[in-house]
Amino acid sequence: MLTEKQRARYERQIILDEIGEEGQQRLASGKVLVIGAGGLGSVSALYMAAGGVGTIGIVDDQVVELSNLQRQILHNTDRIGTLKTTSAKLTLSALNPDISINTYNVRLDEENATQIISGYDIVVSALDNQETRYVVNSACVSLRKPLVEGAVRGFSGLLMTILPGKGPCYCCIFPKSSCDSYLTGLIGPIPVFTTTPGIIGILQAQEVFKLLLKTGTPLVKEMLVYDGLTSSFYHQEVKRMPGCSCCGLLN
Amino acid sequence: MDVEVRVFGGLESLIPGARFGQGIPLEVQEGCSVGLLLNRLAIPREKVFTMLVNGCHVTADAILKEGDRISLFPAIGGG
Repeated sequence: MLTEKQRARYERQIILDEIGEEGQQRLASGKVLVIGAGGLGSVSALYMAAGGVGTIGIVDDQVVELSNLQRQILHNTDRIGTLKTTSAKLTLSALNPDISINTYNVRLDEENATQIISGYDIVVSALDNQETRYVVNSACVSLRKPLVEGAVRGFSGLLMTILPGKGPCYCCIFPKSSCDSYLTGLIGPIPVFTTTPGIIGILQAQEVFKLLLKTGTPLVKEMLVYDGLTSSFYHQEVKRMPGCSCCGLLN
Repeated sequence: MDVEVRVFGGLESLIPGARFGQGIPLEVQEGCSVGLLLNRLAIPREKVFTMLVNGCHVTADAILKEGDRISLFPAIGGG
């Protein structure tokens, strides 16, 4: 049962046929883990908090730096030097004190991923490195947790929702074996224009909302590709890889 | 045989006239591989992070068939 304050806070979406009070309560019961409190994580977490996702977990092991503020809008100048998880919790709690924010000041790895992810319904990958993407994908596949994967570079972005066993996992599209040699050649910071993670991050939140509300069509078996210079999107068909090293045995 | 190529994430700048998401029709010889296709388009192999044919990941030695839809992506891995 929603309180009067909750009805007031979420009034504009409760009046949508697809939401209603029942949908809002589903959001309140939802537990979503955001891995990375950077550009993607900032925006996806903000909108999930605003929309009433009841429990949001934030994973990040870094502190706020000046160069983050061009796109990581969970943070601000006063928080330079602060843990990103602390900063994230302050911002999200101020926006919506009605929800629970859990923080994990760790780098996700094979030792802790399964244990942390197991406490959540859905995972949002808001990462800035491939190595951890593979760890998260592997944990979500083994736990059969939905994973909303996003990535950005420059004016380009990618987004897909992974439902283990129902569509391709991350390794089906970007197998680790073929990535390793490519990635060793990349050096330096990844260039990212200010709005790119904002756009993809909001779409990641939208995927979460679709999953929690069981409405709309999540981006499973298709990867949304974004180009900021032409303001264009392309729906790229993606399929499971037979014998995938990660999800190949899943039905 | 006829195939269709799409390029994304800035690879468009390597192909004159290419636009994001728009299919580029190409006629290739029987037995043409994805790697040969990259050579023909003058796209350096090291610029391509993943190659999809009809939505499936392939390696450069994959042989193309009539009607194949090829999508080429650079590394897009920031967050």
